[in-house]
Amino acid sequence: MTAADKQHALSATDPRESGTQLRAGLWQTINERYPGSMIRKESYVGQARLAKPLTECRLTLVSSCGVHLKTEKPLDVCHPFGDFRFMRVPSGAKHEELIIHQLKYPHDDADLDINVIFPIERLQELSQEGQLGELTANFFSFIGYNMDPEKFERTLAAGIAEAVVEEEHADCALLAPA
Amino acid sequence: MGLIQRAIEARGVPTVSVTVARDVTEAIKVPRAVFLPWPMGHHFGVPFRRDLQRRVVLAALGLLETSNEPGTILDLLIKWADVRREAKTLTEQGRKL
Repeated sequence: MTAADKQHALSATDPRESGTQLRAGLWQTINERYPGSMIRKESYVGQARLAKPLTECRLTLVSSCGVHLKTEKPLDVCHPFGDFRFMRVPSGAKHEELIIHQLKYPHDDADLDINVIFPIERLQELSQEGQLGELTANFFSFIGYNMDPEKFERTLAAGIAEAVVEEEHADCALLAPA
Repeated sequence: MGLIQRAIEARGVPTVSVTVARDVTEAIKVPRAVFLPWPMGHHFGVPFRRDLQRRVVLAALGLLETSNEPGTILDLLIKWADVRREAKTLTEQGRKL
């Protein structure tokens, strides 16, 4: 990063300048490390509304943690631009049946208890207790660190959104980046 | 992840994400999110702290019902140092299970 770039990064529009940034030094490092995370959007999408109370809603979970059933082939964690496919994880799966394949974040704690990054068992409990209507048959998982945001939006984001709405008929979605 | 969240919301399904990188979440302009000042890979806390994991999940789900403004970010400023300290014993017990 050149001096001019640094000056630009600290311009008045930057969230670090406006006081909303809590750990300025750290996040700057993350942005340098993960250039894909520097993409910006000009405007918000309109907020959708819950059509019914949560106790009647069907919830889905989407995560970039790279978790999948031990019986399935993992995604490609070594490709320099990332793997733009996603996997389905049955919402009834238990910790013992799942494994994480991803190299870009520390998942030693998640290996002990998958709910640290993919709270599948907490959601099963909430659904059994009646705090949630139900869970979709499948949850979604992919590996983050995709270096082509445009392709990501066109393929992976559209694909998951399509599956969430058309296949699983979810009423709401919880997203857990890793 | 923000791009996926926007894609789902644009199809009429309300979404909420849990983030540990507030600036990234702000830049991508997600509909709503919960922010935790925790390290990557620990969005729902630490192993075997079911109460804490539930708290984060419930805070996120609550936001689905309460937020009105696109871009609402709820700060759950639970100190990582406290969480980590309590977690140590639990993790050791968990390893023995």
